[in-house]
Amino acid sequence: MVSQQELIREARENGMELLPLEKDTYELFFGPQHMATENYSLILKMDGHRVVKAIANPGFLHRGFEKLAEYRPWYTNIALLLRICVPEPDVPEAIYSMAVDELMGWEVPERAQWIRTTVLEMARVSAYLFWTMGMAFKLGVYTAGQWAAAYRERFMALFEQLTGARVYHIYTIPGGVRRDIPGDKWLRQLKDTVEYLKDKLKDFDNVLFENYITFKRLEGIGVMDKKFALEEGVTGPNLRATGVRADVRKFDPYLLYPELDFEVPVLREGDSLARALVRRFELEQDLYILEQLLEMGPPSGPYKVEHAGFKALPRFKVPAGDAYAHVESSKGDFGAYVVSDGGNKPYRVQIRGPSIAHGIRVIEQLLVGARLADVPVILVSLDNCPPDIDR
Amino acid sequence: MNLEKEQVIVDTILQKAPYAEGKVRRQRRIEFKIPADRIRDFLTLLKENNFESMMQITAVDWPKDGEIELVYQMWSYTYAVHAFVKTRIPRDVDKAKVPSVRDIYPVAETYERDAHEFYKVTFEGNDKLEMPWILEDEDREAGVSHRKDFDMLSYVKRKYKLLDRFEEDKENYVI
Repeated sequence: MVSQQELIREARENGMELLPLEKDTYELFFGPQHMATENYSLILKMDGHRVVKAIANPGFLHRGFEKLAEYRPWYTNIALLLRICVPEPDVPEAIYSMAVDELMGWEVPERAQWIRTTVLEMARVSAYLFWTMGMAFKLGVYTAGQWAAAYRERFMALFEQLTGARVYHIYTIPGGVRRDIPGDKWLRQLKDTVEYLKDKLKDFDNVLFENYITFKRLEGIGVMDKKFALEEGVTGPNLRATGVRADVRKFDPYLLYPELDFEVPVLREGDSLARALVRRFELEQDLYILEQLLEMGPPSGPYKVEHAGFKALPRFKVPAGDAYAHVESSKGDFGAYVVSDGGNKPYRVQIRGPSIAHGIRVIEQLLVGARLADVPVILVSLDNCPPDIDR
Repeated sequence: MNLEKEQVIVDTILQKAPYAEGKVRRQRRIEFKIPADRIRDFLTLLKENNFESMMQITAVDWPKDGEIELVYQMWSYTYAVHAFVKTRIPRDVDKAKVPSVRDIYPVAETYERDAHEFYKVTFEGNDKLEMPWILEDEDREAGVSHRKDFDMLSYVKRKYKLLDRFEEDKENYVI
């Protein structure tokens, strides 16, 4: 067999001009229209099918939420900020409301706390199902993806009954929640859905998580270690897949989480497979939490703090100061920093999306040396939500 | 409420950093105020004291004081404590400078790019500040978008040519 060097030498002798080998790379624009990138764009410098360099470019949304929030009254910002992350819109609502609660010095009623916890867990389950759908599609296991989409639909229906909206709920407000739960029928439906999904997890295992293809495609791909992850500020399931037992629900407890019994799944490998399996175990734990909450039942009492609130929207004022609240979302540590100057509008709101940590620098470093076919898999295994970055 | 743990952390750090002011805000929230030129020393100290992760850098514009407040928000997995590290720098674009901390916390690079683009705070030592980030060139030339003195209404009208369009076919508009 003739080696490459000999071929090149022969070509040169025949008078052909060849570019030097090290310059034999090309640029590939990956996204924002590519399915795997989710309105996120990468510029990949490729050598054959290997990535040599990756540049992440998140600016494709241009929404300027943080600036817009400074022009709107305190309450109406809920309807704005929840649009930050589509699969999990309850989280920005909750953190903003918790920060405003802290500034107002409000103790949220027990019933509202129960409802908020339930809504947050439902949001986590539906976001994990959304992620399962994405992962299954990228691996070519379409059956599991379609199941996940269908099961998520059940949660959307429950959200619709609870809040009146399927995707953007506008439900958690400062001081509690916007309205009470529809009644016992809704609780029964939620219980049925949780039991049904818990049953169906075995099918997901059979088809997706214990699949030979999944292991072959994910094992050893996009590995990051503990030190790297901590330095880069990675949070959530991505950090837990590297062996750090970090969960906001456990060590900065909020709402009813201190009373609930659940485990935090941790794996050590730090590759795409570990990240996928952590999410699989999380899904199980979330369903377990929902079961416990349903067993506990909603405590009686008011569902929001009694105050002028909605009646006096433009005049509603918050004392001067600043507060930071964060929760554990399906993507990681979601935080809101709210500054008030005593006026009827926020002085400054900054939402800390988890994706800003693992969406820019981490991706740029993890993709170096990866094959082109693995790029979508790594992107999806990190569970990016580009609007987090470009808020 | 038991605030012993937080008090011990604040005392330990203040002992090593006499230039700082610190206090306990509530359970699991502590706050420090430091001069802008000591930010590198202070964050190095925090990193040595088990504050492993940086959550974000927030810039808050205070035009009345002529200052921009930078809030470095640090999280410790060891103690489960969130620390606000606040520092103030002048608001003038030429003087709004602070040393970069990206070699201490690599993730700071992203947040510094963010603060530079929206608040024109220069982080000395971060060479990625001038790289394209979220805004496009024409938006960047229009002014510092997130500062309080930015006239958003006239910018929106100018950008989307709302006024021109209105003036052109005024007769077709029914108001």
